[in-house]
Amino acid sequence: MTLRVDGLTVRFGGNTAVDGATFEAPLGRVTGLIGPNGAGKTTTFNACSGLLRPSAGQIRLSGKDVTAMVPSARAQRGLGRTFQRMELFDSLTVEQNVAIGREARLARSRPLKQLWCPPAERTEVREATEEALELCEIGALRRETAGSLSTGQRRLVDLARVLAGGFTMLLLDEPSSGLDTAETKRFGEIVIRVVAERGCGVLLVEHDMALVMSVCEYLYVLDFGELIFEGTPEQVRASDVVRAAYLGSEAA
Amino acid sequence: MTDLLPFLVIGLTTGSVYGLAAMGLVLTYKTSGIFNFAHGAIAALAAYAFYEVKVVRGLPWPVALLVAVVVLPPLVAMLMERVTRALAGATTTMKIVATIGIQLIITGALLAHYGAAGLTFPAFLPADTIELFGVYVGIDQLVSACVAALGALGFFVFFTFSPLGVRMRAVVDDPDLLSLAGTSPFAVRSWAWLIGSHFAAISGVLLAPLIGLDALLLTLLVVQAYGAAAVGLFASLPMTYAGGLLIGVLAALATNVVSGSVVLSGLPPAMPFLVLFAVLLLAGKRRLVDIGATRPTPPQPPLLGPRTARIVALVVIGIGIAVPFLVGAKLPVYANALVFVLIFSSLQLLVRTSGQVSLAHAGLVAVGAATFSHLAVGAGLPWLVAVLLAGAVAVPVGALVAIPAIRLSGLFLALATFGFGLLLENVVYRTGLLFGASGSLPAPRPDGLGGDLPFYYVLLGFAVAGVLLVAAVGRSRLGRLLRAMADSPTSLATLGLGVNVTRVTVFGISAFLAGVAGALYASQGHSATGTPFTSFTSLTWLTVLVLCGAARSAAPLAAAIVFAVLPAYGGGEADGSSGWMPVLFGVGALLVALHESSARRGRSHVSAEWPTGSRAAERIGSPGRAAARERVAHRDVDSAVRVRVGAAGGAR
Amino acid sequence: MFELDSITAGYSGSVVLRDVSLWVPPRSVVALLGANGAGKTTLLRVASGLLKPSAGRMRLDGVDVTGKPPHVLARHGVCHVPEGRGVFPHLTVRDNLTIQATGGSAAEAVERAVSAFPILGEKLNQQAGALSGGQQQMLALAHAYVIDPSHVLLDEVSMGLAPVVVDEIFESLAKLAASGCALLLVEQYISRALELADYAYLITRGGIEFAGEPGELDGDQLTAKYLGTPLRS
Repeated sequence: MTLRVDGLTVRFGGNTAVDGATFEAPLGRVTGLIGPNGAGKTTTFNACSGLLRPSAGQIRLSGKDVTAMVPSARAQRGLGRTFQRMELFDSLTVEQNVAIGREARLARSRPLKQLWCPPAERTEVREATEEALELCEIGALRRETAGSLSTGQRRLVDLARVLAGGFTMLLLDEPSSGLDTAETKRFGEIVIRVVAERGCGVLLVEHDMALVMSVCEYLYVLDFGELIFEGTPEQVRASDVVRAAYLGSEAA
Repeated sequence: MTDLLPFLVIGLTTGSVYGLAAMGLVLTYKTSGIFNFAHGAIAALAAYAFYEVKVVRGLPWPVALLVAVVVLPPLVAMLMERVTRALAGATTTMKIVATIGIQLIITGALLAHYGAAGLTFPAFLPADTIELFGVYVGIDQLVSACVAALGALGFFVFFTFSPLGVRMRAVVDDPDLLSLAGTSPFAVRSWAWLIGSHFAAISGVLLAPLIGLDALLLTLLVVQAYGAAAVGLFASLPMTYAGGLLIGVLAALATNVVSGSVVLSGLPPAMPFLVLFAVLLLAGKRRLVDIGATRPTPPQPPLLGPRTARIVALVVIGIGIAVPFLVGAKLPVYANALVFVLIFSSLQLLVRTSGQVSLAHAGLVAVGAATFSHLAVGAGLPWLVAVLLAGAVAVPVGALVAIPAIRLSGLFLALATFGFGLLLENVVYRTGLLFGASGSLPAPRPDGLGGDLPFYYVLLGFAVAGVLLVAAVGRSRLGRLLRAMADSPTSLATLGLGVNVTRVTVFGISAFLAGVAGALYASQGHSATGTPFTSFTSLTWLTVLVLCGAARSAAPLAAAIVFAVLPAYGGGEADGSSGWMPVLFGVGALLVALHESSARRGRSHVSAEWPTGSRAAERIGSPGRAAARERVAHRDVDSAVRVRVGAAGGAR
Repeated sequence: MFELDSITAGYSGSVVLRDVSLWVPPRSVVALLGANGAGKTTLLRVASGLLKPSAGRMRLDGVDVTGKPPHVLARHGVCHVPEGRGVFPHLTVRDNLTIQATGGSAAEAVERAVSAFPILGEKLNQQAGALSGGQQQMLALAHAYVIDPSHVLLDEVSMGLAPVVVDEIFESLAKLAASGCALLLVEQYISRALELADYAYLITRGGIEFAGEPGELDGDQLTAKYLGTPLRS
């Protein structure tokens, strides 16, 4: 289930935030999307998950055009995402947060399913929740209220929630922001393990190069909303274009 | 055409005044982020102040005018400015409740002091007529229209060209940036409140001669301003004024069209709400950006553990069973209170559990009451069947109310449901669909259980069942989804949930309970009428529920006692929607809103006085609507992230 | 002299800045460097009064201004050009300048702004939001020319701009510095910022990690801070 983005363009009023970006994120691989501040990474993400309607371009999931679909319909097709701002359900416990990752997907848009959880699904939800809690190593926090956690813990809850949903393509939005070096490292390890165990695809938007370089197998670099480079982490490291984009033209 | 001309003239006259009122409303909303539900009440207050000075004190009319439109508005403006400043950072619900509280205080006090019957407003302008384009027009009307038009025009010029006007527009764009440029946004907002209050007061004094001195009518008539404001999408001032004219003309023309028809007689006064409802539905989220929107506060944890709560619940039911033996002749009061337990439970499900403010709740209860009578008396169905079917019939109506919930949220949902409720009340109540032209229908009690005592226990059974139903919903998957939705609908949608279905479902359940409650209310009172279920009632219910919010899941019970039982021991009022009670509820709700807002701020380091305003469409710097929408959606989240970003740093 | 002394500040109960001290001497350029989320913007928000510090003192030319609201600080000569575009998008360029003038003469404000950024002269009656990103940034920067600030705080003024516009912006920053006001500069183009700077601060996760002259900063160490890992390993 490859996520393929073709010529994605997003305009706000007269300004173009993303300009003709084309890239793909296949299964079984961690694909990175990087770029300096304001390059349009999060906008690209929001367009992929359906929170923004692109001005032009196509977004395909396993070949199926999902550009016009609402977020929940894309999620039903296996596209899950986390948020840089970690939109957790702050008033619920960690366990409930993670469980809802599965329940929301089971309940879909069916009124009765939303109202009532059949026993078979109850087991399914419990199993998915346990597995996700274990993968993210946050089982000990299950009774805590999400709003009371530290940033590092919240990142993991956000990840566990989307893992419990059983999505095959995960969009991770700046997962390291607010994490210290140790937490970032741990987060990276979990992502690698998830991809190895489940064979799902990950698209990672990130500014922490240490994390990007250690988990991504392939990188796309955005600047001013345009794709300026793509390649393996080694190629990106060696690229003068990328260095210039990050540090200013004279730094090259 | 020529026979329509008089209506056109009348329409433009009143429309001009609506336009002026609406401009004041939009100005204060845009600059402060607080939508002032009390705007109409301020107009009524000014009209009554005029009456008090001129008629009661017998002073000449210029003095009365001076008091009403020069002295009074600054006092009101000062109050409003203080309240809104204190509300910075409050949840959308609390912002709505606070100004509704103020409206209840003003309107309630006027009703209690001057009585509900309309008084004759002293004409102070010459009532002679002159001929204009072949139509005879009263000089007073002409003066009203011209004063309003000049006021609107003058304000538009001021707003566009004067330094203060420019700063008012700047406050709308970005209050933080304005303060960085050396101008205090609070000073600018004070001016906006001053102008807004003046406009409300002037329109009150201009409208009163046309419609008579009736607190409720005046309050609601300047609510016409909502419709006008909607035409301007709550943003454009010239369009708002034009919207006022449009509504005035539509209402006047509708008067002409429906004259003679009893059924449709409610249409002209309902015109603004029709416009409001239509605009809110058609415009949708993209165009309507609630500038004051904030993230909801997570609901507090329950006061008691599950075990203690169960014991307390049993004790309460025990007391409920014992009540008839303790209260003697006051039993009907308690029977009524049981119905209100149901009503407040259904409202709680919407307001507290799912974080959606509905102001059409009394309408749903009325639908239940009328339907019950039609089914039980008209169709002769058994009592219990009729009661349950009344609930079922209310469900599609509730779903209809939910349409705005799907498309809108927060403030605009509240406004749309308010419009819907008024529409129901003004247009549908008097038709054969509901209470008919006479306004009252018979409502039976169940055979063999019709006595006050047995029927009390029937009601107790329903109340307990209703509370259990709401509790069950709270513990069900839907309950979890609703609580999650109150925190973040966005992430629920990206997890695959059809959140629109969730919203409609909860409105449906709430409507069912409200419908059943309506049937029981009618049955308890032996008749079904629309009188106890006005939009004013909806507002009162909301404030009472919020007032009792500290009781958490027991809030419906507390609210029922406060609303239906306490007044019986106070001044002998029927219930909490008459006498001085609304004033007390208004004060209470306002205090609760202010308290919750300050408690929320207390948890943050962010200064109350200098709230983090909109950091204009940050990365993109776009003026576009999309960016504005994003900005609103992310503003709070944005600061939250920065916090967390820092939290990790600080922990090292 | 603008002194921030042991500032602790944050949002909603969490701490972003912890015990940060920073001086901006008169007529000097101070570069404030650090990775995303380190607390640079928060520090500027504290300095201009948008955010009240929970602890610490602020002194402006010896006068204690801790806890003063932004409009008061602005009148004392602190000019903050915020992150993003510091313009009122729905107002015309002229109205934007009028507001920047803080009650001073609007005509003079326009004159000063246009002499600093001639292109603005052609756009006076356009809505600021309709300008290009670079022009909006110039309009925001014009604030520093319209009034005579003693201290200008600049937050990522070059962000998202095309290289040629960035050049122009930096030229005008140099001009501002030469005119004698002190600059506190947050910039992602580190090398350019350091060229301009007399002093540099490096802030990491809410604390000052380095303070000194730009020459003392180790380039590779700096790159590592920004990109997380040395580009040439």
